[in-house]
Amino acid sequence: MRIDNAYFTRRKFLNSILGGWLGTLAVTFVSPIVKFVWPPYKEPDEVKLAFADFAGMKPGEVKGFPWGAKPGLLKRAEDGSFIAFIGVCSHLDCNVSWMADKKKFFCACHEGWYDENGMNIAGPPPKPLRRLETSVEGEDFFVRKPGAGAKA
Amino acid sequence: MKIDMKKVGAWFDDRLALTPIFKYMTKKEVPQHEHSIWYYTGSSILLFLAIQIVTGIMLALYYKPTLEGANDSVGRIMTDLPLGWLVRSIHSWSATFMIAFVLTHLLAIWFTKSYRKPREATWMTGMMLLVVSMVFGFTGYLLPWDDLSLSATKVGTNIPNAIPVVGKWVTQFLRGGDDVTGDTLTRFFLFHVCILPLVIFAILAVHILLVQKEGMSVPLEAEVKKKKVPALPFWPNFILREVMIWLVLLGTLLTVALVFAPTLGPSADMMAPAPAGVKPEWYFLFLFQTLKIFPGNMGPVTGEFVAVVLILVAIVAIFFLPFIDTKPEGKKGRIINYLGVLGLIYAIVFSIWSLL
Ligand code: HEM
Ligand code: FES
Repeated sequence: MRIDNAYFTRRKFLNSILGGWLGTLAVTFVSPIVKFVWPPYKEPDEVKLAFADFAGMKPGEVKGFPWGAKPGLLKRAEDGSFIAFIGVCSHLDCNVSWMADKKKFFCACHEGWYDENGMNIAGPPPKPLRRLETSVEGEDFFVRKPGAGAKA
Repeated sequence: MKIDMKKVGAWFDDRLALTPIFKYMTKKEVPQHEHSIWYYTGSSILLFLAIQIVTGIMLALYYKPTLEGANDSVGRIMTDLPLGWLVRSIHSWSATFMIAFVLTHLLAIWFTKSYRKPREATWMTGMMLLVVSMVFGFTGYLLPWDDLSLSATKVGTNIPNAIPVVGKWVTQFLRGGDDVTGDTLTRFFLFHVCILPLVIFAILAVHILLVQKEGMSVPLEAEVKKKKVPALPFWPNFILREVMIWLVLLGTLLTVALVFAPTLGPSADMMAPAPAGVKPEWYFLFLFQTLKIFPGNMGPVTGEFVAVVLILVAIVAIFFLPFIDTKPEGKKGRIINYLGVLGLIYAIVFSIWSLL
């Protein structure tokens, strides 16, 4: 049935309301399932380490630390400052290793190379290694994402 | 009380309506011609699938899908349980045989063009079975949780990431988070022993139903020239030949599994650098090598993105092959055969290259 000058029939109107309602109901049921299946874990914004573990590093030395479930790599620069990387290849996520003799980071998965500053120099990696910021606060040694800022 | 077996049989027949199925089996015929040998590839896959189910259930009795327990539990299966090493070896080799036969099945159908009308849907369900079989292999590879399987899984699950927007979701879904962790292991175990079996049975049921509905294809020339092709009764003649082939395959499988049992590396350390010689299973090697040769960046996009898009386009094209090959007996049909040869050469050359 269509009322004079109406845009749609009564059936179409009622079907749309019912359909919209069913759709909303479906979303209400499905969204918690989706949230459950895609877990909320993200990598950390910062990790707190003991400075004593790293204070003795010589210039040029590289040491690992846990960055959530990823390996972090901490390098002591010639001037004594620290540079931190996430030790995960920018190509397809393999963990990289520090080749002390070549002063380069190497990814064994598809033979990707990074220089000592984490710049991708050979092989498939499209980007440099991701860098993290470091700061020494008393006994604590903080490594955090660039821009994450200190939690006072 | 004496049970009258005839009556029991009649009861089941009455309730389940089995007579038409038996009748069908005795009437079914398999054409006999120079390419008939390929008809046996499908049933050989079924043999290996059955072996996977039996040995898989056996392994699952002792396997533990956790970060702490996985590697140890596989070690225990191999050393403590009677013939456990052989069960694991058969499961691993039968997977290889199964995929090899799925690929042979696909190639045979490609070159004989049995996918042509009216068997397009049979081909498409077949392609789904190929993908599911490979995902079976991929998820199974992680379960021993040694350093090689961890790195292979990191790479494999990161590949969807190359696709903007949706890719990230796929990767997170596969991993259960941003990284490959114990949750990934639990998830892969669940895919491997629960979700994929349900999926493969559903698709296989349609695949086999379609094969029965259309009957076996006859060679293209015979169809075009309307020649009559001699046929063999399915029951018992064809089945008998099938059983003979199964016995030979079973013997080969057992021999190979006995002599070349798979090894087990130390438990994976998520913080350790990727070991040298990270390699996926052999049927992923050509894709692995393809990813390796693309440079980091190609203009505005990453090389990985280009590679993934090319691979996806190829898979979709093969899926819809029956609709692309509209003139199987014409020139286009011949070109598609050459493309098949080319694809095969590409896969073989790249696989060998990846091992050098
Ligand atoms: C788990 C994997 C698979 C199983 C268990 C399976 C099983 C079977 C069986 C038992 C047959 C009948 C016998 C034969 O022709 O060999 C068959 C036929 C067929 N399969 Fe598969 N198959 C699988 C994968 C595939 C794949 C990957 C394709 C191709 C994309 C495919 C396409 C076909 C076609 C077109 C037929 C009909 C052949 C004809 O009528 O001559 N199947 N399959
Ligand atoms: S994952 Fe590092 S080079 Fe591919």
